[in-house]
Amino acid sequence: MITPRALLQKSAPLLACIGLLCAWQVASLLLNTESFPTALEAIRAVPSILGDKESLVNIGASIRRMAIGLSLAVVFAIPLGLLMGRIKGVASFFNPLLMVIYPVPKAALMPIIMLWLGVGDVSKTLVIFLGVSLPIIYHSFQGGKAVEEKMLWSGAAMGLSSAQRMFRIVLPAALPEILTGCRTGLVLALITMVTSEMIARQSGAGNILFNALDMAQYDTVFAMIMIIGALGIFLDAAFEKLRGSLVRWSKPQHDIPLSFS
Amino acid sequence: MKVVTLRSDALAESEPLSGKPASAMIHIDRVSQRFQTSGRQSHLALSDISLTIDDGAFVSILGPSGCGKSTLLYIVGGFVSPSDGVARVKGKAITGPGPDRGPVFQEFALFPWKNVLGNVMYGLRQQGVKHSEAEAKSRKLLEMVGLKGYENFYPKELSGGMKQRVAIARTLAYNPAVLLMDEPFGALDAHTRTRLQNDLLNIWERDRKTVLFVTHSVEEAVFLSDKVVVMTRSPGRIKVVVDIDLPRPRKRAELLLDARYQKYVVDIEKLIDDTGEDEIHA
Ligand SMILES: Nc1ncnc2c1ncn2[C@@H]1O[C@H](COP(=O)(O)OP(=O)(O)OP(=O)(O)O)[C@@H](O)[C@H]1O
Ligand SMILES: [Mg+2]
Repeated sequence: MITPRALLQKSAPLLACIGLLCAWQVASLLLNTESFPTALEAIRAVPSILGDKESLVNIGASIRRMAIGLSLAVVFAIPLGLLMGRIKGVASFFNPLLMVIYPVPKAALMPIIMLWLGVGDVSKTLVIFLGVSLPIIYHSFQGGKAVEEKMLWSGAAMGLSSAQRMFRIVLPAALPEILTGCRTGLVLALITMVTSEMIARQSGAGNILFNALDMAQYDTVFAMIMIIGALGIFLDAAFEKLRGSLVRWSKPQHDIPLSFS
Repeated sequence: MKVVTLRSDALAESEPLSGKPASAMIHIDRVSQRFQTSGRQSHLALSDISLTIDDGAFVSILGPSGCGKSTLLYIVGGFVSPSDGVARVKGKAITGPGPDRGPVFQEFALFPWKNVLGNVMYGLRQQGVKHSEAEAKSRKLLEMVGLKGYENFYPKELSGGMKQRVAIARTLAYNPAVLLMDEPFGALDAHTRTRLQNDLLNIWERDRKTVLFVTHSVEEAVFLSDKVVVMTRSPGRIKVVVDIDLPRPRKRAELLLDARYQKYVVDIEKLIDDTGEDEIHA
């Protein structure tokens, strides 16, 4: 039996979507400019994008780069962050480095990277990797640092070596914090993916968007924004499901507010 | 009552007393511990501690808060290395933790990602015991500490007292020769506390593990122990070691009425009072 309140809570995101679309529709009807199509026009353009083989190949390539960049970042950033959290020397070596890199917009490095590595997949994947790594490193670092020392002592008394303690105590104990970093990383991956394709216009979802803009196909522009947005919402929701099942043992956490820039 | 004031030189000689087959399990030899505190100062937490604990003995440590009881336990556990002196277990200098010394920490330190059964099985699995065997043994231990039916609960779903009982079962599971217990019953209600004291005594009388037991309760120390070590306020030193000469097996109901028990409690309370402005912050 679902209470009305629970039902409302469950359908809140859907209601927000509908509300947003309605506001869009009304605003665009009021403004009535060519560069701001109505929500319905944009929605009508979605099937033609998704029905086009070339577009699908482009979107697929985007997702592939994003997946590779994100996976590489996870594999690299989690161990580094945890080591920084547990070993003082590692932290004092990498912390200043990361402090310098952190505020630099990774997309701003894109022109240089393109110069060195071309406009192909490697450059774009590298930018995604760079963008995603930092939040994951940071959260893994925090998570690793916060592991209760007595827990490690208990493990040591049971005969776990220091490497085993890293894998079997530090990693699981820091997992909730690590996954929080990964969630931020996932959204950042999507953002950097689009930005990189905006700069290196060769293929991808971002390329479709900006080509349409060049050709003044505004309904396609907005449809593409909707597709990318829907992809983000879907990935984030799927990741939340995974995260929930991985750290069910953890203290209940409130939803993390995320800027969906 | 036999009150033995320990001096380190006296201790060194008193060791190979013939007649008693009991061998030294833990030997703490002139151990001091100095901590660096903020502002380039240092704080002497333990000063010149010497203590020998026989194999199979139950020894309690009493003393005001901050006198270094936990620190002493950590040194024996091998988690902290002393700034001065050596601690030995079975004659070998302690260089690190090992499964021969099982700690039960004041803070429980359970593994939150493992359920109750997983926590208790952890040490056994680590030592290569088969899964089914480890599970059977762990279930029995959990039943003993009164947690039957809670096997699948996660630590966050347990009360403080239940967590403490899981922590005790987790350490007992891998069968360490020495138990290092830091106020294990401190967080428990009076009823559970009494029950677990009895349980611990039963386990100890059966297995005769060596137990080093930190507590703030004089009654608990006298009830459980062969020896009670009273420490002074910082820097922590051993003030006296009191031999508790009460017959075993001990029954709580009988002991509470026993005049000798009562006298031990009163005398030790007096000794603690003498150690300074204690118990101001409990
Ligand atoms: N890692 C540390 N760094 C600096 N000082 C420490 C450290 N650990 C303990 N101390 C200091 O050493 C002293 C002894 O601490 P300890 O925890 O051993 O006391 P305790 O007797 O167990 O107290 P309680 O009964 O409150 O548990 C305290 O003054 C404490 O501030
Ligand atoms: Mg303590």
